[in-house]
Amino acid sequence: MDPHNSLINPTLDGEAFESAAAPQADAGEVVIVKDQQGQPHQGKVFAAIHAHLDDIPYYASGLCAKLMREGYTGYIIRTSNDERSGGHSTAENILSNEQDHSRMAAALGFKDVFDLYYQNHDMNGISCIDLRGRLILIFRMLKVDTIISFNPWGQGEENPDHWVTGRAVEEACWMAGMPNDFHEHLLAGIQPHAATERYYFYARPGQPFNRVVDIGAHIETKIDAVVECKSQGDGNRGSLVRAQLARQGKRLPLLGDDDRSADRAYVRQFLLDNDREYGKPHNLQYAERFYYIDRRGPSKSKADEYIENNAVRL
Amino acid sequence: MERRQFLGRAVAGGLALGGAAALPQPAAAQGQSSNLPPGTTPSAYSVPRAPGSALLTPDYHTYADNLVIERNQPGKPHRGKVLAAFQAHSDDITLFCSGTVAKLIDEGYTGYLIRVSNDEKAGRTVGSGVVQNEIDNQEAAKALGCKPFSFYYRNHRMDDCAIIEIRQRLIFLLRLLQVDTVFVMDPYDHYDENPDHLVVGKAVETACWMATPGGGREYPEQLKAGLKPGRVREKYYHSRAPEGHNLVNRVVDISSYIDVKVRANVANKGKGPAGDSGARLRQELARQGKRLPLLGNDDDTANFQYTKHFLMEDFRTLGRRFGVEYAETFRYIGPEPDYLPSIRKYVDDHAVGM
Repeated sequence: MDPHNSLINPTLDGEAFESAAAPQADAGEVVIVKDQQGQPHQGKVFAAIHAHLDDIPYYASGLCAKLMREGYTGYIIRTSNDERSGGHSTAENILSNEQDHSRMAAALGFKDVFDLYYQNHDMNGISCIDLRGRLILIFRMLKVDTIISFNPWGQGEENPDHWVTGRAVEEACWMAGMPNDFHEHLLAGIQPHAATERYYFYARPGQPFNRVVDIGAHIETKIDAVVECKSQGDGNRGSLVRAQLARQGKRLPLLGDDDRSADRAYVRQFLLDNDREYGKPHNLQYAERFYYIDRRGPSKSKADEYIENNAVRL
Repeated sequence: MERRQFLGRAVAGGLALGGAAALPQPAAAQGQSSNLPPGTTPSAYSVPRAPGSALLTPDYHTYADNLVIERNQPGKPHRGKVLAAFQAHSDDITLFCSGTVAKLIDEGYTGYLIRVSNDEKAGRTVGSGVVQNEIDNQEAAKALGCKPFSFYYRNHRMDDCAIIEIRQRLIFLLRLLQVDTVFVMDPYDHYDENPDHLVVGKAVETACWMATPGGGREYPEQLKAGLKPGRVREKYYHSRAPEGHNLVNRVVDISSYIDVKVRANVANKGKGPAGDSGARLRQELARQGKRLPLLGNDDDTANFQYTKHFLMEDFRTLGRRFGVEYAETFRYIGPEPDYLPSIRKYVDDHAVGM
């Protein structure tokens, strides 16, 4: 169903929508992550990898904005071509999603955008090793420390593009650190580099999470990102409602006096319920949920420490 | 149409390179029996073999009417150019076209010998075969003056690989190394039983054009990583013995490079008919209280002489057909003609004032 034709009860047929009302999976202790002062992540790099235009904006744009504010350099990678969303011809959908993606990435402050254009909804038919190889090159050349993406093991995931992307990302994270995987990269001076921290989306009801990230200070940036999701994700729903009401000789004060204000107000009022729900139990105004994995090893191994403490002269 | 125009120019180029080709005679003219009805023009020519043939040349050739014999060129006319010789297995390039590779390197090319499989099916155990063939690829490259590289896809199972992923990696290499010229098994090598050959041939063929500026939207992240668009302009497709049925439009005189070809094949200890075969024969004869003067007095000489005398016979026979001592044959694909200057010239000549 085309969401642009249903204004009063929009069907959120973008790729990212899900319900907040879900049982919580047991994922260990839930840690509340608050903003940090200064730029503690200066010099670090994260890659946010999603399948569709509206995945990162809804699931993780608050976290992305927070990490970049705290010093991270961020890159965004879209794996599909989004041809099935946009309400127009397949070709026009590819173009409009491409343009929206670029604008959405700029709104969040990403340093660069990668579009891989695998066929939308059909990604379980592609060569996973081809996708993995491309991600390995990107992770290595950007020296990605942290990834934000789909949980490849998350239950209830109907969209094959999501789990194919998540799986390829998970594989690429550690293989990017192995010199014998895609070893031709080394010939080009691109060194192995593993991505050791992972934030997996809470994308579907029942998926595990162990981090609740306070995004209250970044909600305006999140709204900036969501309103750019016009081809899917209802980013322009507010202006469409405003135009429809005007044709009926009405107006909604909430939507303000221009399209931009209407879009932002609509998103704030109607499309951030999940973020509000996720924050409530922790007295946060807005929050995003993640399953966080830290694969950073200790700076010194147990063996190294033992040798250092016990080695004696010959 | 464009291809025909290009081939027309290639004839002139061939004459400049080495004079008119000595066209082969039909089987009947060579004393072989043929039941071809009178008045019928053969469309394929059987390739003659020596009695001790190692079956390293195809059964049949189909010759293009603008066949070129490529001969030695003085100096270093190819200085600054790069060739990549792709092979599925450690002995493919060495057996079928290492003479031409050696010639082009001697004429100025920088060369890379790129093996795509791991050759695990040739060895006492899988592990020992993989290691020996890795060494062989390095040693063969050294003999040819190339730099080696290996991909390690599983031997004889490459039709189980995602060809698009192989192509991705080949595009990366073609861009990184700025390859001008490739050698590879003809992807249209009829009756080739080995899936690795066909997969590699097809992957290389597709990678060549996708790596170029025209394929700039292929793997754009490689360009962001600092690689430049590829520039492959020439392809030498070689055939595989013995079942082949190949179109040939280029015969390369490798007479000056036959010893390099022999040494490259001797370097292949893990597979192929050369390697240590001479030394083993010499040792076997010694156990019988005999010796073969041809094999000399040491293993290195035995290996060299065995390979040159017995295994190069097919290339000697082929060469004889074209009036040279040793030859290798190819389906050569040269640079695409640039049609835009012709249009520009037409516009310049015919444009009139408004």
